[in-house]
Amino acid sequence: MFAYVVRRVLATIPVMAIVALFVFSLLYIAPGDPAAVIAGDQATPQDVERIRASLGLDRPFLVRFGEWVWNILRGDMGVSIFTNLPVTTMIQQRIEPTLSLMILTLCLAVSIAVPMGVVAAWKQGSWIDRAVMGFAVLGFSVPVFVVGYVLAYIFALELDWLPVQGYTKFEEGFFPWLENLILPAIALGGVYIALIARITRATMLEVLQQDYIRTARAKGAGQTSILFLHALKNAAVPIVTVIGIGIALLIGGAVVTESVFAIPGLGRLTVDAILRRDYPVIQGVVLLFSFVYVLVNLLIDLLYTLFDPRIRY
Amino acid sequence: MSSAAAFSSASLPQDVAAAPPMPDVLPPVKPKKGFFGFLRRNPTIAIGGGLLLLMLCIAVFAPLLWTVDPTALAPARRTREPSAMYWFGTDMLGRDVYSRVLYGARISLMVGFSVAFCSSIIGLTIGMISGYVRWADSIIMRIMDGMMSIPPILLAIALMALTRGSVQNVILAITVAEIPRVSRLVRGVVLSLREQPYVDAAVAAGTRTPRIILRHILPNTLAPITVQATYVCAAAMITEAILSFIGAGTPPIIPSWGNIMAEGRALWQVKPYIVFFPAIFLSITVLAVNLLGDGLRDALDPRMAKRV
Repeated sequence: MFAYVVRRVLATIPVMAIVALFVFSLLYIAPGDPAAVIAGDQATPQDVERIRASLGLDRPFLVRFGEWVWNILRGDMGVSIFTNLPVTTMIQQRIEPTLSLMILTLCLAVSIAVPMGVVAAWKQGSWIDRAVMGFAVLGFSVPVFVVGYVLAYIFALELDWLPVQGYTKFEEGFFPWLENLILPAIALGGVYIALIARITRATMLEVLQQDYIRTARAKGAGQTSILFLHALKNAAVPIVTVIGIGIALLIGGAVVTESVFAIPGLGRLTVDAILRRDYPVIQGVVLLFSFVYVLVNLLIDLLYTLFDPRIRY
Repeated sequence: MSSAAAFSSASLPQDVAAAPPMPDVLPPVKPKKGFFGFLRRNPTIAIGGGLLLLMLCIAVFAPLLWTVDPTALAPARRTREPSAMYWFGTDMLGRDVYSRVLYGARISLMVGFSVAFCSSIIGLTIGMISGYVRWADSIIMRIMDGMMSIPPILLAIALMALTRGSVQNVILAITVAEIPRVSRLVRGVVLSLREQPYVDAAVAAGTRTPRIILRHILPNTLAPITVQATYVCAAAMITEAILSFIGAGTPPIIPSWGNIMAEGRALWQVKPYIVFFPAIFLSITVLAVNLLGDGLRDALDPRMAKRV
């Protein structure tokens, strides 16, 4: 077990190295010469050269890459071209709304999608099953910002039940926080719910045909206990895996959802950085999101034994 | 009276007629042949394909469908509500939303099809190499793992930040973001095909590797890659709209659905129709492609259909 954990953790290092190399190349080949920008309009070519040397921009690619990685490991992601603030500070300022949104969406989606998939598999072929599968196709097809606008139009503008836009910090109370986040979370969760419901249904269909389910029925176990204790437990590994992989959808969707609902999170930061071509910020956000994504999936891999004690390493 | 007869007369109530004897061979059920028979058996493909064909016609014949110049400005008649004159209303610069939405179909479909085609070709090549060349496999797959751990939309956004917004660059960026998934799929299929007895037979018969790939491996990867291509197409259309919506996609001068929504964003609380019409068209088109994909999956690969 321990050997497996070590091996699995070590295996993420090359992956992260590839990500880092890609993200670094982004800045390296980005158009525009930072030295010329800093030197200003009146600078002579000698001035630009001097600034370039003082910034270390004249050194070879791999040396600069090594130094960049070293800085990041020490928590220094560079300085924003636009605001002159350290990128880590900017990320810290914006991380709470994004984290709130993603965690709320995750909880909401899992607690809706898993029962949906279970019931669809149990009543295979019935109208409930068809409705769930139809919803799944719709969830995959209607883009997150479309769902967002429709929800905001109905529940915020027409019915006036919820605020249209904005974000309230968690420390200012749970309900104000929830009020602002519930619509974005539902909008963002659409694809995710579709994905999880589909895989839950497919895995459950397979599990429900197993002999031990028949045994459980024969010994008189109740329907709920069969579905949720016997079957769902055995279907857990693929479902949890998809929940992990689907986080990529949440991250991509968060960028758009935050734009639609004017939530001042990392997604907004990314969009603003793109529009201003603020490369250090883009680098930082992409790196952070990818790191979180890899980490979550690593954790899920390591937690397989929890869901299925038959798995031994 | 034999015991068998007693049993049968006792177990059957008097008023139930005995079933007629079964014929030895059931009459063959003739599946309807031809294109329309295929559509009858696969209604999902028919619905998805039909909707997609409709969108394609709208895109191609946009100039003939009572549209005006989608970029013509007319500040005097800006933000008109939908009416008999302006079917989908006008935006804040007085441009006709109906014309813009219809022309927008061209961009979405072009991006979707181009990305599906390019990423399939490139993914097929990379997957083949990875599945057949042992030493290259681990290197390629590590690179693909790295690329896959960047969420695709972020990867496309990062690439778009490097270049100027144009339709070609959007296609390129989304293609790069989709390649790892296609490559992984092809590699998996190739690895399992290599274990098939008929490939062993071909090797034993002395067939050269290029010929094995061309005659035995490649044809068998086409079904899964076609299904995958439809899903890539749907994802690409959504990604294009997202990129344009956040201002990192097609240049604002081009009427794409994402751009129309981005422009309608500032006014959406008072003039929601500017956002909703392109949204409806985008959703229907993506739905059509997804239905087509689901249908093709069920028709081409029954094993895969059972799983998901």
